[in-house]
Amino acid sequence: MRSVEIDPIGERIEAVRQAASAQALLDATCALAASDHGNGVNNEAIACLVEVLGFNNPGAAVAAVDGLIALGPEAVEPILESLDPRNYGARAWAVRALAGIGDVRGLDLLEEALASDIGPSVRRAAARGLGQLRLDALGEPLRLAVQTRCLQALVAGCSDGEWVVRYAVSVGLEGIGLADFNSEYLRAASRQALLGLSQPDGEEVPVVRLRAALALRRLDGQPSA
Amino acid sequence: MAGTIDPDAGISAAGEPITEAEALQRLRQSEDHSQQYYAAWWLGRNRSRHPEALPLLLAALRQRRPRDPGAGVEENAIARNAARALGKLGDAGAIPELLAALDDGDDGLREAAARSLGELQATEAVAVLLRRLASGPAGAGAPRLASPRLQEPCEAMLEALGAIGIAEPGVITLIEAFTAHDRPLIRSAACRALLQLSGEARWAEPLMQLLDHPQLQVRRAALMDLGAVGWRPALEPICHTLAENSLKLIALRGLVEQGAHHDATIQAGSVLSAMDSLL
Repeated sequence: MRSVEIDPIGERIEAVRQAASAQALLDATCALAASDHGNGVNNEAIACLVEVLGFNNPGAAVAAVDGLIALGPEAVEPILESLDPRNYGARAWAVRALAGIGDVRGLDLLEEALASDIGPSVRRAAARGLGQLRLDALGEPLRLAVQTRCLQALVAGCSDGEWVVRYAVSVGLEGIGLADFNSEYLRAASRQALLGLSQPDGEEVPVVRLRAALALRRLDGQPSA
Repeated sequence: MAGTIDPDAGISAAGEPITEAEALQRLRQSEDHSQQYYAAWWLGRNRSRHPEALPLLLAALRQRRPRDPGAGVEENAIARNAARALGKLGDAGAIPELLAALDDGDDGLREAAARSLGELQATEAVAVLLRRLASGPAGAGAPRLASPRLQEPCEAMLEALGAIGIAEPGVITLIEAFTAHDRPLIRSAACRALLQLSGEARWAEPLMQLLDHPQLQVRRAALMDLGAVGWRPALEPICHTLAENSLKLIALRGLVEQGAHHDATIQAGSVLSAMDSLL
């Protein structure tokens, strides 16, 4: 028989706030991020996870990003409102969270991050995010407009100086090309960009070429081997 | 291990984008050492193919003199950057001068030269590397007084032997002695080289155990080493290592690109899908 019902989320938030060491913060954040929110999302939990992004504790930030991604669209506004141009670290984690959530409200930030963030890991996350925005709820004209912006950002990302970003761009282009509601134009344009990344005269790094070639096979509906 | 982590790369104060012509000009002048330092790094980083890059970098390598630690960015720092860059240009014309640098008194320069000779797969370097390491873990591998360094830059030299790829018994026996070194980073470098040279799974085991080491620096080194070898059976352990995704992605790139040399029951496609999930 169960005893008095406590509020585990409230306790977990408190544990994050009280954490006195890096390890305690990591453990508490993991516990909060893994919370089952049942019927209603707890805004205080979201605010707390967003706050952790700015704590300069990479382990805890990873856990907080995972927690925010699991919370989904509810977390988007709090993340966007928290953006602080002076806290680069927090901003980078926010980009990752928004890339994972895939909400269209993150589009501006993802575009900007892929084009000009100084951190390759942030550009990498942005590229992946631009290929996996969830647009099913938008009307057709808006959906196409958003997809076109994503495509343009990814095409520009093909000339990024870091191989890992170009790798993520391949993954992003595959996402754009495979979306079932795509126009012929978007499909052809992502194929064209992937073709460039799949050939030695366009791309010097073998693993990027392999990933782009895999994406092309998937666009052609071939088994992905 | 950390061939990809250049300890001096962050010092490029003049780090604004420049053109190849500017880089060559900065290296050619000799008034401003910090400009030369940055230019040498730039030419390597961008793998310059300009015909003047090799002679200018060789000249910068020759500028060295006995170490003067108090002098800020001095010639030896430029020489070290030049040595690193020469490995990245991929021109065998750099080998004789790099070989000479392996016997320089500046161990930072010996380290840079060893790495570059490894990148150039310079078989000529094996004899010198063996000679410098011949005294084993208790000699070449002994710690210096009041310094974190060892007598020789063992890690770079062991890695170079693995990269050069001469699997003769004398080479193997010497490297094996370093698998019992006190420092995990040296053990990691030795196992990496042996795994490259022999392809024997027994040298992969210690590397995979180091992925669980309590120190992040050691886990990172083991990641880079397994990646450099392309040891595909390490796919799952790499994915579960507590380290940055950026480093795991570099290691997994190695598994894709180098991994076909080994028994590849794990297909490149599985590695790619693991990479996708780390982005």
